[in-house]
Amino acid sequence: MIAAKNQPSWLRSLLCYETLLLAVLVIEWLIFYHYGTSTNRRGHLVGFGTLDRQFDILRHSCEIGLLALALTPVILTAGIDLSVGSLLGLCAIVFGKLWHDGGLSIPVAAALTLVVGAMGGGLNAGLITALRLPPLIVTLGTYSLFRGLAEAITQGAVTYTDFPSGFLFLGQERWNGLPMQAWLFLLMTVLVWILVHRTTWGRSFRVIGFSPEGARYAGLPVERRVSIVYILAGIIAALAALIYTARLGQAKADAGTGYELFAITAVVLGGTSIFGGRGSVTGTLLGVAAIAVLKNGLACLPVVIRLNAAEEISGLLTGALLLVALTGNAIPTFLKYLRAHRPAR
Amino acid sequence: MLSGPPTPPPLLTLRRAAKNFGGVRALRGVDFDLQAGEVHALLGENGAGKSTLIKIITGAHQPDAGEIIVAGRSLTGLTPSLAQQLGIACIYQQPALFPDLTVAENIGLRLEPAGSMRRINWSLRRQRAQELLTRVGADLSPEAEVRTLSMPEQQLVEIACAVGAGARIVVMDEPTASLTSREQDRLFTVVRELRSSGVGIIYISHRLDEIFALADRVTVLRDGESVGTHAVRAITHAGLIKLMVGREVDQLYPPTEFTGGEIVLELRDVDCAASGVNHVNLAVRAGEIFGLAGLVGAGRTELARVLFGLTPADRGEILIQGRPIAPRSPAAAVALGLAYVPEDRRRHGVVLELPIDQNITMAIHPRLFPNAWLKLGAEQKLALDFIRDLAVKCAGPQALGGSLSGGNQQKVSLARWLATQPKILILDEPTQGVDVGAKSEIHRIIRQLAKAGLAVIMISSDLPEILGMSDRIGVMRGGKLTAILPGQSDAHAVMAAALGQESEKGAA
Repeated sequence: MIAAKNQPSWLRSLLCYETLLLAVLVIEWLIFYHYGTSTNRRGHLVGFGTLDRQFDILRHSCEIGLLALALTPVILTAGIDLSVGSLLGLCAIVFGKLWHDGGLSIPVAAALTLVVGAMGGGLNAGLITALRLPPLIVTLGTYSLFRGLAEAITQGAVTYTDFPSGFLFLGQERWNGLPMQAWLFLLMTVLVWILVHRTTWGRSFRVIGFSPEGARYAGLPVERRVSIVYILAGIIAALAALIYTARLGQAKADAGTGYELFAITAVVLGGTSIFGGRGSVTGTLLGVAAIAVLKNGLACLPVVIRLNAAEEISGLLTGALLLVALTGNAIPTFLKYLRAHRPAR
Repeated sequence: MLSGPPTPPPLLTLRRAAKNFGGVRALRGVDFDLQAGEVHALLGENGAGKSTLIKIITGAHQPDAGEIIVAGRSLTGLTPSLAQQLGIACIYQQPALFPDLTVAENIGLRLEPAGSMRRINWSLRRQRAQELLTRVGADLSPEAEVRTLSMPEQQLVEIACAVGAGARIVVMDEPTASLTSREQDRLFTVVRELRSSGVGIIYISHRLDEIFALADRVTVLRDGESVGTHAVRAITHAGLIKLMVGREVDQLYPPTEFTGGEIVLELRDVDCAASGVNHVNLAVRAGEIFGLAGLVGAGRTELARVLFGLTPADRGEILIQGRPIAPRSPAAAVALGLAYVPEDRRRHGVVLELPIDQNITMAIHPRLFPNAWLKLGAEQKLALDFIRDLAVKCAGPQALGGSLSGGNQQKVSLARWLATQPKILILDEPTQGVDVGAKSEIHRIIRQLAKAGLAVIMISSDLPEILGMSDRIGVMRGGKLTAILPGQSDAHAVMAAALGQESEKGAA
């Protein structure tokens, strides 16, 4: 995107957006490692540089990471899904209720929760494809609807807790060196990557994103393909709900509030065009990592700790990072526009 | 060119006006003049250069060469706003008014000076709108919302704007295309009044009857050139048609080898109310090129869309090799062996942001990638084969669709559909906006495809192409297939059928 046409191909692939984002991520990490790590009085390493802290970052970014994965195909089709955070909350409650009040075993309750996620996504898909309503409006509606349902089920008060340790393992323990949910996240990343980059389905998401009319004229099943991205988003949101519940050990109605915005930010920061067609799962992964490291790394900086303003500063910097990335991505297009519209003499 | 008494200087003169779009020469040195108080008709086939000429006069396009003289002043950089100041107004077929504002507001927006801090004098605005409406004989309330008005009423509002702006030159682009005959009469009255007040009117229409009823002079354009300006009194219907088409079909078209084949596609009384297709009966044989002629808006693309499942038929039967089918979506049509190379290749034919190979394989995903797993090697190989066979000029199969010239985009669009190995190929304006070289290559490819046994339906507004390529020629008008002519027909017969000369005499 940034590279010019006449450069050698290795240079072009080196200059692509993902590589630049990776460089930003590495620099970011090194800065936090340098300034955010210290030794306490007993001689132990504390702060950003510890392994525990790194695992913490991983644990905390898995749910938003999963939502970002779910949103990547959606945004590739030039759609949007604002309801994933609310659906996460609804699924957490449904899971807790099925297990706690319904007396179902954990695996059965989890499976049913995934089905509920698929149905939530299916509702979005149906409204968008059958009624041809804009995704922004539909998912803005279901954003409130799903959250409202979650609150109605719990009457705003009930929190499901006391999950068995076998289930909590999913969110709190390590397996083969990494937190359990990181393995799940990795698995989903590979699956979504394959779907987007190696199958005709992913191909058609891009075609639809670039030109829905062109896709229709080419005989692609546009409605079916669009449906699948929203249903998939629902299923992944349900999976994120399970991980969230396991990590905190409790299911409550406000689970995942505001997550959709972090996820969208990560996807866009990862280089996926909000207008559809362009983007990659690798980019999304880097976007998630860049935001997660920024958020957690800031909390380790002495100056930030002194100010007690980690949340505020991380919000500020995430926004700035996103705007810089978007501007950088838009500059070639802007230059082209200027050249094309130079006033005639 | 004019004879008789010395005439006053014309309102508008074009001298050797020329305009190219890429490799396409839209206008090649046209002379044109407009006198005060005359209706000057502009006539020509689709693509003869009428729209380009109008856009030069209204300042939307700058001519590449030639001179524009308005009221004795030679203009080099005519812009739409300068044209407006000089009293040039254009009334399009589709009025460009704001539907949610009232008539008075629309007129006010056009005529009152702009300024963000200016106060609006509502009563003056209303009063002025009322005056203008009365002057053009429109019985409308200035308070009416434009969306509640009919098409001819909206046109009257446009004319009122032109009058209010003190226009001396009014261009009317097919103003009667969607009018009933009574509305048309009313419009004519207004046009005649404008003429008697000294306004010069450039009147574009495909309907010869109107030209004879209304115009003083007529200029015929053909292939971007003016083939003559005549006083309407001194010319006949037949004479005009001859001027419009009067050229030899060049011998560059590859000869047909069609001798007959089984019927592949049959339509029986096919109707589609939504797109205006009306009782179409048709049978196309394997190996045949069936040309579909007619004016723009005659229903040819609409018929193709019905066949391709984009706007499914509501009545009638469609049969492929004797088997009734009812395609409800393009995906279904593709599976039945239909292929449609659409007219608007930049919007529908090629995805400009994707590379050539992905564009070519787009319609054959299920066949090329049976497990939905992309096989990039196979895709690339297929693309290379088509690039070679169709001689697509490109940097390689990874070059983006948008980087290609019009003719090469068209070849990629064609390749996508040939890859589906269809039984029936529908081509919609296959060589529109394509340079001459690529055009004859595309003709050669089409002929080869027919020879290989495909049934080809070729929609074209390019009359020589229709005559040179078709084994039979269907002519559409108003959503109906009004005539089927043999391939050896002459241009005159096709044009007469498209204009509805025989059947509609005295009907209006």
